[in-house]
Amino acid sequence: MALLALDGIGKCYRQGEIEVQALQDINLQVEAGEFAALVGPSGSGKTTLLNIIGGLDSPTAGCARLNDTDITQLNDRALANFRLFQLGFIFQAYNLVPVLSALENVELIMVLQGRSADERRERARHYLSLVGLEDIMHRRPSALSGGQQQRVAVARALAAGPRLVLADEPTANLDSENATALLDIMHRLSHEEQTTFIFSTHDPRVMERAERIITLRDGRIVSDQERELPHEAEL
Amino acid sequence: MVQQAHHTHLPMLFFMAWRNLWRNPIRSLLTISALAGGLVMIILYAGFLEGMNRQMQRHATENSTGHLQLQRQAFIDDRDLYATLPWPYLNALEHRFPTLHFAPRLYAAGLASSDASATGVMIQAVDPQREARVTRILDHIRQGTLNLAPATPTSAGLTRFNVIVGHQLARNMNLTIGSELILVTQAADGSIGNALFRVAAILKPLEPNFDRSGVLMSIEAFQSLMYLDNGFHELAIRLDNPDQLAQIQTTLRSHLLQIGTIQPLDALGGKPVIRNWRELNPAVADMLELSRSMMLFVGLIVVSLASMGMLNTMLMAVHERTHEFGILLAIGMQRRILLLMVLLESFFLALVSALLGSLLGSLLTGYLEDRGIDLSNYMPDGYDWAGMVFEPVMEVYLLPHHILQACLLMLVITLLTALIPAWRMVRLKPAEVMR
Repeated sequence: MALLALDGIGKCYRQGEIEVQALQDINLQVEAGEFAALVGPSGSGKTTLLNIIGGLDSPTAGCARLNDTDITQLNDRALANFRLFQLGFIFQAYNLVPVLSALENVELIMVLQGRSADERRERARHYLSLVGLEDIMHRRPSALSGGQQQRVAVARALAAGPRLVLADEPTANLDSENATALLDIMHRLSHEEQTTFIFSTHDPRVMERAERIITLRDGRIVSDQERELPHEAEL
Repeated sequence: MVQQAHHTHLPMLFFMAWRNLWRNPIRSLLTISALAGGLVMIILYAGFLEGMNRQMQRHATENSTGHLQLQRQAFIDDRDLYATLPWPYLNALEHRFPTLHFAPRLYAAGLASSDASATGVMIQAVDPQREARVTRILDHIRQGTLNLAPATPTSAGLTRFNVIVGHQLARNMNLTIGSELILVTQAADGSIGNALFRVAAILKPLEPNFDRSGVLMSIEAFQSLMYLDNGFHELAIRLDNPDQLAQIQTTLRSHLLQIGTIQPLDALGGKPVIRNWRELNPAVADMLELSRSMMLFVGLIVVSLASMGMLNTMLMAVHERTHEFGILLAIGMQRRILLLMVLLESFFLALVSALLGSLLGSLLTGYLEDRGIDLSNYMPDGYDWAGMVFEPVMEVYLLPHHILQACLLMLVITLLTALIPAWRMVRLKPAEVMR
């Protein structure tokens, strides 16, 4: 059974008098452990689809199931719990809490989960070392580069132990070197942690790293290709 | 799934709220200054009001009334000259209550005439030694000396007593120290009582009625003028500890019943009645109550105005961090936890302001408590407010519970104010704010 199943998802916005069809009849299944990219030009519906999968927005048609839970039927409080325990988010603009250090940022989500102080401290340190930031984990975001902040965001997303990580244009604000490094880390952790990643991008460098490329255009899936990637050691 | 345990959020929320407070230190410090300044004003105002209340209470008790007064019902109702309490009552009470201070008084109305004019006066007879232990009326001498003893006879050999007069009466009748004053009245035996007196002293302004028409004399002089020596009209009582007022009043009441069985009173004068200063001066008691309400009212206005500054700060802080709040909601923070975090920020802002404001307010009020505000250069006789004459030194009192109340008032109002930005924030839709 698929980890994520989207069935006939549609999303219609109203902008004044005009009705905008952001998504139309999206049917998609994603298996556990996949490393998939949502690609397409700006305005093709990538972010809207990620928001619906993440329970941040609701579809006007269809249903979205994660692990057999219909996300579209959850109330506000249940959705917050769902996001907290089932999903990890990586945003384009890093979005770390500026008053917390890298370590505290990673811990924050586990505080919300109610994990013990020892457990969350241990997990936060572990994931920060996996993304190569063990030496600067006590710095605040303002003292970190963009690439480092995004790696903290990856550690934050994974430390909470989610089934699915959603990343909206995670490399959009990074230079080529940092973007490649980040993708390598995400890919490696996806395999090591057996975590499913779905990320949106229109960056060709990122697409090269994806094992599955789902292409959206005008709110519809126009292609869905799977491919074999060389193992990380060969990259 | 790991179960959420909300108690584990608190340390992190406290931590984040505290750090968020100092994200924009200048803005936070300005807000803290406004709130702390408001609190200083309230504490200072409360200090002044307490000083005024105490002066008012002292005025009500020390100047003439005492803490308690004993009179007969007919005297209370009609100023009945014959409604006296026998002198053995005074002895019995002094014997039974050695820690209380008693001052007997007699009253009569009369006509005073001097070389210059004549006017109606209110005659009050006191025992100077006992009166000095109960009230400070005899301390308020502006001119002359405290002397109610018989004066030297006139050149024609007429005996005369010394009297002390109110300052307005002295002015109206052109009386100075040594002036002669003739008092004419209807004596207790129905005859026309008249006698010659010498003005020994003139009082400072005390109370408008007494200032205009008051003549103080000794009980001996009164008895000689009025032919009334079987008792006294009024017994003023002072307690060393005014906190025991109600208890002493009850004890005295029951003891008077006992004395009444030993020495019954005539029926015409009515029963003896013991009243406390609040019952005797209901206007003052009401004013004291009113001043407490005033403090709350003024406090509410000042804190509400200062809270507008905090509202602005929190609205700005929430507006600037809309995106950040959206992220926190997106990663799974419950709205109520976010609400708590924003309220905690306001709470910290108010708490720091409360600590700073109460420290500065206490220091300033404490300084003024030691020195008072001396207005004697401008108003040597004090100032008249609400029918009472206050001393020219304004007193300030610092009471810990006033500071606590002011802090609590500020914390409650600022937290209520903080609900507005907090409510705006919890209604955010994460997908919209991150777009």
